[in-house]
Amino acid sequence: MDPGFIAQYLLNGIVLGVIYAMVAVGFTLFFGVLDVIKFSHGDVVMAGAFTALATYAGLEYLGVGDGAIAAIVITVMGIAAMAALGAVLAKLLILPLRDAPPLNTLLITLMFGLALRESVRLFYPNGSNPKPFPQLLPDAAMTIGNLELRLDSVLLIVLGLGAIVAVHLMIQRSRIGLAIRAVAQDPETARLMGINFERVVLMTFALGSALAALAGITNGLYYSEVNFGMGLLLGVIGFSAAVVGGLGSLYGAIIGGFLFAALQTIGAVWFSVPAYKDVFAFACIIVLMAWKPTGLLADKSAERV
Amino acid sequence: MKSERRSFWPVVVTALSAALFVLLFLYLEHEWEIALLAVGLVAVLFCSARFGLLARVETAASDHPRTTILVNVVSALLVIVFLREEHFALLMLATVFLYITICLGLTLQFGYAGIVNFAGIAFFGIGSYTAAVLAVHSPLPHLLVILVSGLVAGLIGSLLILPMLRTRGHYAALVTIAFGILFRTFLEVNDLLGGPQGLKVPGMQLFGWSLNDNISLGPLGMISFYASYAVISLLLAAGAYTLIKRLERSWLGLNLDAVRTDETAAASFGIDLPRWKIFAFTAGNCLAGVAGGVYAMMSGFIAPASFNFGDSLLLVSIVLLGGSGNPLGVLPAALLVVVLPEKLQIIQEYRLLLFAVLVILILRFRPEGLLPRRIREYYAGWGRS
Amino acid sequence: MTYPEVNAFTEAIMKLNRATLITTLLVFLLAGCSSEKDTVKIAFIGPLTGGVSANGLGGRNSAELAVRLHNAESSGNYTYELVALDDECKPNIGVQVATKVAADKDVIAGVTHYCSAVAMGTVDVYHKFGLPVVVWGAVLPDITYGNDYKEVHRVNGTMINQNEVAADFMLEQGYKTWVIIHDTTDYGKGHNRYFSKSLVAKGGRILGTFGVSSDQQDFNAELTKVKELNPDVIYFGGLAPTGVRLRSQMEKLGIDAVFQGTSGIVSDAFIEGLGPLSEGVIAFREGAPVENLPGGEGFLVRYDQQGFGEPPEAYGAFAFAATQLIIDAIEKVGPDRDAVKQELNTTRDHDSIVGLITFDDNGQNTVALITRYVIQDGDWVVWEQSEYAQGERSLQKR
Repeated sequence: MDPGFIAQYLLNGIVLGVIYAMVAVGFTLFFGVLDVIKFSHGDVVMAGAFTALATYAGLEYLGVGDGAIAAIVITVMGIAAMAALGAVLAKLLILPLRDAPPLNTLLITLMFGLALRESVRLFYPNGSNPKPFPQLLPDAAMTIGNLELRLDSVLLIVLGLGAIVAVHLMIQRSRIGLAIRAVAQDPETARLMGINFERVVLMTFALGSALAALAGITNGLYYSEVNFGMGLLLGVIGFSAAVVGGLGSLYGAIIGGFLFAALQTIGAVWFSVPAYKDVFAFACIIVLMAWKPTGLLADKSAERV
Repeated sequence: MKSERRSFWPVVVTALSAALFVLLFLYLEHEWEIALLAVGLVAVLFCSARFGLLARVETAASDHPRTTILVNVVSALLVIVFLREEHFALLMLATVFLYITICLGLTLQFGYAGIVNFAGIAFFGIGSYTAAVLAVHSPLPHLLVILVSGLVAGLIGSLLILPMLRTRGHYAALVTIAFGILFRTFLEVNDLLGGPQGLKVPGMQLFGWSLNDNISLGPLGMISFYASYAVISLLLAAGAYTLIKRLERSWLGLNLDAVRTDETAAASFGIDLPRWKIFAFTAGNCLAGVAGGVYAMMSGFIAPASFNFGDSLLLVSIVLLGGSGNPLGVLPAALLVVVLPEKLQIIQEYRLLLFAVLVILILRFRPEGLLPRRIREYYAGWGRS
Repeated sequence: MTYPEVNAFTEAIMKLNRATLITTLLVFLLAGCSSEKDTVKIAFIGPLTGGVSANGLGGRNSAELAVRLHNAESSGNYTYELVALDDECKPNIGVQVATKVAADKDVIAGVTHYCSAVAMGTVDVYHKFGLPVVVWGAVLPDITYGNDYKEVHRVNGTMINQNEVAADFMLEQGYKTWVIIHDTTDYGKGHNRYFSKSLVAKGGRILGTFGVSSDQQDFNAELTKVKELNPDVIYFGGLAPTGVRLRSQMEKLGIDAVFQGTSGIVSDAFIEGLGPLSEGVIAFREGAPVENLPGGEGFLVRYDQQGFGEPPEAYGAFAFAATQLIIDAIEKVGPDRDAVKQELNTTRDHDSIVGLITFDDNGQNTVALITRYVIQDGDWVVWEQSEYAQGERSLQKR
């Protein structure tokens, strides 16, 4: 095959990988801090994209229009709204169920995700239709042989990777990151050390949800479209990626994200009916889970009996 | 401690009033009447649980297990007889019975063995597609086809066993979720099984008689063909219920309880964890598969879009609403979840949202559900004063 | 609570049960003696939500218009009520809704379906319950020709004609190579079948065929393969939402082929979704544009008067004609499904806003004219009237 086409597939795969990685990092964060799988994460991604869309509609109405300013404004709005939603979710649904069997938390977040998805479908005007997402990035493109290198794809990759690196740096280098890591390791001792447990949990959820919003906006910009069902598949993919990489490990989540994107791309190229790519990717995940139940880069953990 | 055999009358009264309730629920047209009935049901259940009436009925029932089932089946048959001309009401009734069957399977997996299964509808779908393919392409009698559907569902479920055994909690949940999505996607891209267009399924033929024909009673009117399916689904649900109840009270149920409560402790007592998990998971899936087979023949048409993740969540919510671990709770929960959106057009659109919110509230404030799980009765008369 | 109290309570409940039993039996008896109904119910089924809801809502409004106009005249024997139901353009939902409507004895006939995939699934249901229906928007030939059901009729045309004209036209324009992308429902597969047949017979070359899922989001894999093949035209057999995604992702990959669609994308939703990217897209549809139909202008005027929130879209006129046809039949033979079915089967040269309707042995109306459309400046423009036809603009292939 022409190297240009291979490069094209590679480029597509990288953008997908960045999006998946962003979602996976969110999952890993939540798990690390509270041993909780927030299944509504995918739908938070979708809600973030829709918030951005709604903000854009508002901006259009006010006549502020296109360009970099609009892009920044809707991104900020999306992130802020989802951060707030994440914190509220933590306060109302997750924290109170801390002592209940973990299954209950899983179920409640699943149901919340369903509720979120249905709410957008029902209450957003014409929610059940796929909606065009504004084209806010420059659409300059460079044609190198058979590769169409678009500036917006590159921008999105840089943006996504930058966000992940920023989160990583924050967790590793800042004070709040230290607090998050402390709570993840041992909540009781952390409290003894004077860390405000609840505040840290809320912050973590806000952070993860903000990242989710960014993933949603990236997705919207890439496909120029958002629809109310996009969160379900993204959530499952992000979760699979996080699990395969090893829950609790940031690097694992990133690797998992790119791995899933690679599986999908390989599946698309290999099979004569590209639609089999999802079946292929999920089947691989199930096999991987059977082989390495705790993920590729598992954290060593001990379970108290 | 002397165990008294309680009077049988509470059971009969409950069965008849339940039958009447279901009849009204399915027959009435006006929305305010339906809403009133639904609220009434929940209120009655709460009160009777609170005032110990439910316990009385349940103990009376457990004293006369076989007669209880008989009485309930007879009263359900009475309902069917009453509704013999109403196509859609019978269709709904049959669907409720089928959903009860699946959810009883889910209760076995989740309520008894503690295995989460988010792919319930996928196994239902496997059963449906097996029945569809076999009914068209093989000479097997339809009764056998239904059984085979159950077996195939159990068999395909066993593919998931290895990953499920090696994982716990969230990881296990991921496996079933991934499978559910995989199943749906596979059906959609696979033209052999009809693709997104779905498959048409011939009606059931039992012993030469086609169930898809209305039965004409001459001057007495006619019996809708859905009545036959309703009877079959009723028998299926009754069978599943008896099975689950018997299982619970047997040593199998005891083992499952131990596995669910504390795996490590159970293992250290010598209970073979994998064996019980495999058993519960496969048996539950078989039930779902059999229900799927009947459903396919009844609706005459199945498509991948009928079996998506939201429906699996709906099944889980039925189990939770009714009180996970209490098979009796599955009955009113299934009735409400299946019939209410059909009757109250207002909530038809908001159905998923409504049930999601309901489950969230239940998990938050009353995790035991409508009918909380009873404490196991280790021997006759245990726990009664 | 002590036992005596519980016993007393139980007895009270039992007495209450008895009383309830008696009361409800009385309610039953009273409810049974309801008054005669003068209202006749006609069902309308279409995609009221989802990606193609614009067409469904337009159809519903048009059917509603027909009902309202008839009820306003006092000369009829009956009052009509339209029961509108949503099939979400999904076959399984369509079957559920169709069963509900067909099992309801008060519904005498139905105006059904825009999505061919749904219509294919539901024909058996209508036959099973003996409900006569008239299809208003689905174009797959098999809906009427694939079975012998006397209940199923259709006022709009089928896709066979559409694709023949499409093949002729595009070859005339000088294009030689095609890639076909179609959705995997019966609708998309039907388009693939008929277009491929017509094209190959007339000398066009098909470089590749891809089947995609109708709710698929990411087409990069397929489109990269298409780019390798480098066709003149990409033919798309499917509905507007998928078309929007394909066209915009084509652009992102730098594919410069002409985008040729079918009646499935002839809708304002397609243009809204793409914005300026929609320029130069070609599509074909059976029937004349609404304004040019025999009763078209009158229809549009009266439609506007009702103040519906949505435009009638491409097939509203057909829904209107279908509803009127049913109303006329019921007026003639009364609200009986069998009689209406037989009356519809004898429809010959029945006058309507879309022209004269005649149902052949399979219940199919013949609609001879195929309109060629091109999108120009954000509007569907008839080809002959467009600047492309005059040579002032040229189609893709930069």
